[in-house]
This record gives sequence, C-alpha cells and structure tokens, in this order.
Amino acid sequence: MTVKVRFFARFRELFGGDIITGISPGTSFMGLIKEIAGKNREGYDAIFDENGAFREFVILMKNGKRIDCTSATEISVADGDEIAVFPPVAGG
Amino acid sequence: MIAIQTEDVDIGQLINAAKKRSTGAVVVFDGVVRDDDIREMDLEAYEEVALKELEKIAVEAQSIHNLCSVDIIHRIGRLAVGENILIIVVSAGHRKEAYEGSRFIIEAIKAGVPIWKKELTRDGSRWVPGEHAHGSGAVKH
Repeated sequence: MTVKVRFFARFRELFGGDIITGISPGTSFMGLIKEIAGKNREGYDAIFDENGAFREFVILMKNGKRIDCTSATEISVADGDEIAVFPPVAGG
Repeated sequence: MIAIQTEDVDIGQLINAAKKRSTGAVVVFDGVVRDDDIREMDLEAYEEVALKELEKIAVEAQSIHNLCSVDIIHRIGRLAVGENILIIVVSAGHRKEAYEGSRFIIEAIKAGVPIWKKELTRDGSRWVPGEHAHGSGAVKH
C-alpha cells in the first residue's frame, strides 16, 4: 500500500516536493505526516508545535479535500491516497 | 476561460469575448507584481486542486451575482515586477453585479485557493504570508 504526500511552498523547500511512501493498514493521517516529518528536524518544527499537534496555520488535504487538523489522528489513509500539507495560501 | 498557466493573456481579447448581448458592464481585475524592493516573484500552485477551486468560485460568482461571463487566469512560475499575476474578467447586465462579482472572486481566491508567492529580493527571498502569518515573511539568506 502506498500513498503520495505532497508538500508545497515553504514545506516543499523543507521536505522536497512529492514523496511516495509505503503505509501499514490503519495508518492515521497524523501518524503518516509525523513519520515523514520526523526525519527532518526543521521541517518537523515548522509543521508541529511543542506538544506534537499541527501548528494552527497548517493546512491539510486528502484527495483534494481539506481535513480538520484536529481530526488528523482519527482519519486513516488508504492505498492510493494523495495527501497534501501546506502553509496558508497567498494567491491573487 | 479558467486557467492556471505560466503564459500571459491578452486582456483585450478577454474583454471582447466577455461582451454578450445582455452585457451592460465588464469589470477587469488585474493583479500585478508590485515592486516591494524585489527583483522577481515565484508563484507556485497545487495545480489540480487550485484549478478545480477556481472553477467552483467562477460558478458560485456567476450564480450569486448573476454574471454573464467569468474568466479567471492565475499565472504561476517566475514573474518580473509589473507582470500580470491574476486576471479576472467578469461581465454582467449592470455595474453593481459586475463589481460585486469581481470582488467576490478575488476575495475567495485569497481566502482559500492553494497558490503561494515567493518574493525574490536582492538579498535572498521571502514567502508572502497568507491569511495567517506563518513566520516565513522574513528574508531568508
């Protein structure tokens, strides 16, 4: 089972663009991002606060739909999912 | 026309195409790269999602503000000072609807469409903060 994790803007600079990674059944959204972010201290600190929660400005998407950061521990990821993590948007 | 692209567009052509028999007003919003002591700007998008969101915003604007036509072109890639970033062309039967429709679209884009800007300065670069500051506005050397 694999998922694609996409980082954008400042987070892309910290983690690289797209990461395709294997997952175990039942992996949570939060668990997946923590596992990837844990390999990069600066990146981890950019996304998570001192309590290990997503920083309030971090935006999450699963298959193009926004996900509430507070429910990221309850939402699991499945084979083929596309996950996106990015800072506040600034288009226009 | 709803698009995210590197190329510029012919605004005059969009205006002409926006004029329908029922059109009484055309409003053009042209967001350009401002010289905030920068050299250039890099624009990045989550393209597949951003395009769908622009299409959704256009449909909503058309329905809410009774617009005859909507064009939204958001550019990405590297742009110089003075270049067009975002062009919105709306037409409506009356000016009030056209102005309000245009405003609705730009505010919706700023609020949620996944697009980011990075300003390239003489000393380095800085991400333009979004709705909530995220500590990356300072120049990074």
